[in-house]
Amino acid sequence: MSGNTKTLKLRIKSVDSTLHLTKAMGLVASSKMRKANLAMAAGRQYEKAVQNVVDLLTAVPECQSSPFMREHKDGGKTRLIVIAGDRGLAGGYNANIFRTVCDFNEAEIIPIGKRACERYGQPIVSSEKFYAADAFRLAKELCQQFANGEFDRLGIVTTNYISMMTQTPDIKWVLPLTKSESTQNTAAIFEPDERTILDIAVPEYLSGMIVACVRESFASEVAARRMAMDSAGKNAQQMIDELQLEYNRARQGAITQEITEIVAGAGN
Amino acid sequence: MSTYKLIISTPDGSVFDDKAEILIVRGTEGELAVMAGHIPFITAVKPGECKIVLPDDGEKTATIGGGILTVQNDKTTLLCSDFKWN
Repeated sequence: MSGNTKTLKLRIKSVDSTLHLTKAMGLVASSKMRKANLAMAAGRQYEKAVQNVVDLLTAVPECQSSPFMREHKDGGKTRLIVIAGDRGLAGGYNANIFRTVCDFNEAEIIPIGKRACERYGQPIVSSEKFYAADAFRLAKELCQQFANGEFDRLGIVTTNYISMMTQTPDIKWVLPLTKSESTQNTAAIFEPDERTILDIAVPEYLSGMIVACVRESFASEVAARRMAMDSAGKNAQQMIDELQLEYNRARQGAITQEITEIVAGAGN
Repeated sequence: MSTYKLIISTPDGSVFDDKAEILIVRGTEGELAVMAGHIPFITAVKPGECKIVLPDDGEKTATIGGGILTVQNDKTTLLCSDFKWN
């Protein structure tokens, strides 16, 4: 009997330390949440502004012949920027991203985030400390390679932050550029000319997209981790309660048995 | 002097979103100034100094690392990946 109570006690202790861990991780995630949300809002705003300029440019007939607007044919080379988290323990956050990537077996992958880099065996790039300058460098390089025809399609695998509770994995196709239907042809003056501005605007656009996606993904990661830690903490508490009950019962049983034995011994 | 809405947007959020009288930047063809009532215009901006004249005659200068300037009827947007107030 004492062996049983001892194992129960050990189990309670181990679940308790898990509870502490989940609580601490949940708290760290909530404290990062605010900053991540602000950064996400800033990134989205910039993305919207650049999108606006690119929409204006793609509507202009002179830009149709640009290499950035060549149409994507099936069977071309695909490149994916995969944005995942730096750490695990965030529910299905990383797994959802990798599952989305699985649909593109042939694609070349540029990972951002330690988990993604480890998975695809590439040098580690942190997603938490990914700055606009890094994005711009990457965007410039990619634009150059795209213009040279090294690949035919570029997508960003990212997570959409819908709310604190819901985040969904998504692929955003960024290159080649598609002509937006809604923008009318504006009679704006382009200096020096449309193509030159497009060539300058595309790296800005791409880096704006990358930054916005990385920040949105990070906000999603933090939110996912908070939710995961919340439910893990609840489960741990429930488990402790159940084990405690079982432990009390075993302890009471042992005492009762002892008393019975003593009473039986005294009766003789 | 009349003013117009100027937005300066960077990846870290907008650093300026207010009324301005004049914006002076280095365009590809040389320095240019944008005042209220400018025709719709898009140009690339070279790295260098950017000067904003505010409605109260105050001035603000900043160093920018290149970008794109869009003048539209209702607003003027300067997009730059690198921006620092002087």
